[in-house]
Amino acid sequence: MNVALVGCGAVAHRYYAPALRALESEDVLRVRALCDPDPRGTTDLRATFPAATVAGDVTAAIGGSGIDLAIVASPPRCHAEQTIAALRAGAAVLCEKPMATTVAEGEAMVAAARETGRVLAVGLYRRFLPAAQTIGELLRSGRLGALRRFHCAEGGDFRWPARSPDFFRRDAAGGVLADVGVHTLDLLAWWLGTPQQVDYEDDAMGGVEANSCVRLAYPGGVTGEVRLSRDTEQPNQYLFQCTDGWLRWHVHDADRVELGLGDVEAGFRARLHRVARDGTHPRLGAPRGGFEESFVAQIRNVVDAVRGRAALVVSAADGLASLRTLDACRRSRALIGMPWLGDAELARARQLSGVR
Amino acid sequence: MMRVAVVGANGFIGSRAVELLHLEGLAAVRPVVRNLSRLARAARFDLDWRVADARDRAALTDALKDCEVVVHAVAGDRNTILGTLAPVYAAAETAGVRRLVYLSSAAVHGQDPAPGTDEESALSNSQPLPYNAHKIRAERALGDLRRRGRVEVVILRPGIVYGPRSRWTAAFADDLVAGRAYVVDGGAGICNGVYVDNLVRAIQLALDAPGADGEAFLVGDAEQYTWADLYRPIAAALGFGLDAVPSVAYAEGRVDWWDRFEAARQRSAARRVLSLVPIRLRAAAYAAVDAWRANGRAAPDGWTTAGPPAPRATREMALLQRSRWKLPSAKAARVLGYRPSVAFDDACRRSIGWLEFAGYPVRASFAADRGRASTAARDALGTAAGAERP
Repeated sequence: MNVALVGCGAVAHRYYAPALRALESEDVLRVRALCDPDPRGTTDLRATFPAATVAGDVTAAIGGSGIDLAIVASPPRCHAEQTIAALRAGAAVLCEKPMATTVAEGEAMVAAARETGRVLAVGLYRRFLPAAQTIGELLRSGRLGALRRFHCAEGGDFRWPARSPDFFRRDAAGGVLADVGVHTLDLLAWWLGTPQQVDYEDDAMGGVEANSCVRLAYPGGVTGEVRLSRDTEQPNQYLFQCTDGWLRWHVHDADRVELGLGDVEAGFRARLHRVARDGTHPRLGAPRGGFEESFVAQIRNVVDAVRGRAALVVSAADGLASLRTLDACRRSRALIGMPWLGDAELARARQLSGVR
Repeated sequence: MMRVAVVGANGFIGSRAVELLHLEGLAAVRPVVRNLSRLARAARFDLDWRVADARDRAALTDALKDCEVVVHAVAGDRNTILGTLAPVYAAAETAGVRRLVYLSSAAVHGQDPAPGTDEESALSNSQPLPYNAHKIRAERALGDLRRRGRVEVVILRPGIVYGPRSRWTAAFADDLVAGRAYVVDGGAGICNGVYVDNLVRAIQLALDAPGADGEAFLVGDAEQYTWADLYRPIAAALGFGLDAVPSVAYAEGRVDWWDRFEAARQRSAARRVLSLVPIRLRAAAYAAVDAWRANGRAAPDGWTTAGPPAPRATREMALLQRSRWKLPSAKAARVLGYRPSVAFDDACRRSIGWLEFAGYPVRASFAADRGRASTAARDALGTAAGAERP
């Protein structure tokens, strides 16, 4: 399978390049094209992928070069245009999150995939983390009883080695919600379904938010809060409290969860393994993979889906659903409480934020 | 409106300066940060931000173009303190900037200043902590640059700057939650503190006050208060009594691994380095650092049943907390017209409001009105947000 890497910034260097190298070494795929308008992005990746040609735009990278799969890892404002161009040029696409900057763009991408009959996947890789899969199984199975409430807090001082100012641009899906929150909201949608009510507040005062808070309510009285920050250190944990137990996940632990069961006094910190059997005796099998294996698994799933051997784990419909949740947040937006501001500052902050 | 560049705009003081000056319409602020990643706080506003490393004269010259004043709010280690002065000054001169406001520190007088100390007191070359010496060298270097150059220089010497995002506020809360907080000699020493907003007022006045060129100004809160006074409201807000916080004495003259580790922790350099390593390794490294912080040192074997180690005062804290002299802000009042705008009690309330905003487990009775993200919702969720913070 011939792959084009479209967008050669920080995520391409840090995550896609090593994952694609791993899959090249298994002969699963070959990187044939690198595409970025900025030569700084492609220069060092040429050494990593010597079989790849370099192009400045997606049509030149894909047109007539036998590319089967384009990985779109450019800034989000480029996603729709590049994805649609790649689909029309005959390639399947794995598009990084957030899928697009607006719901309308996302819908156009889904329509293009339908028209061309090509696979369109979205890079919400956390669904491949063993911990995320286990949390989903536990919550859906009801083994901890009924979920009552949850609290997710994620982020801290912004350290991503951003090369694009788009992370901080209002018109480019900048801000912590679309950047990090899209992962959290996607996992919650996967685990819990569609929320009944979404309330949202952030601290954008003419620019993009560094702090935000989403409050969600679900049928049956389940409520939860998602706190996101690029400003203050957060615990980076998700806590689910159920009638018969609790579940806590540290988001950097790809293969571990913490668990409490009803009135059992001890809590458990579990490293996840597959379950094997010796005859009728269950035992721990191979450990489940970590972050790197999960990232590789994401690309492997898309390759298998393109070959017709597997269903996509994260489809374009899932990506579009996450865009709709982001949109619901923006529509209910209020200014987050900042209790250190003086009265005059607060009045001006409200004015600049464009909300009540 | 006066156009003011804030170099180091993502730092704790720089970010509050940008926020307050912009929201109160006191200046046309231009945040300058060292790389794109440092834009998160300034980018909340629609401002004309620039990316320029404070050691990169050419990039800075471009970033300071059309600005009347530059505020140097870059914090860091020795190389940062001393390596950013000449480039910022030269860039300001080339860009036609009229004045540079430099954030020095009251630490130039030592952490435990002699009674009677003010701006006229000689700065000793013999300092208990390297940071003090770096700041003295920085002030002298700026004096040399001023003598040779055209850009005016105003030096501010704040004491312990506390409030939102301050390490003095957050670290004490972290230590309380982690069970390793302490006070020195009951916290009875005078805290030479300044609430961050009051410092920003001094910065604002220093932008264009006549007669300030070439002068240094101590900047503090109006009230005289002790370390116990500063810590008590934070402890109460988090559900602790300050009386229950251990009071330690300090063994003078020792700078051991604990001081060095604490210094590293406060610089956050460890965390920055950790951000460059792969996620799984990073998690392991964090766990190791947290265990080290929590336990002081590893237990020698499984038979060791000693309880948690007794808190130990760092040299810096020991010196600070035995201060018996309230540094005066009289010169700032006389020349700059400085009047602290936020009273101590209000400053404590706002600091606690920020702790709650940041996710610390602030008790409901202390919680600010957070609008729709209600305290009730947080209470319903128990201590998830803050109890296990590192």
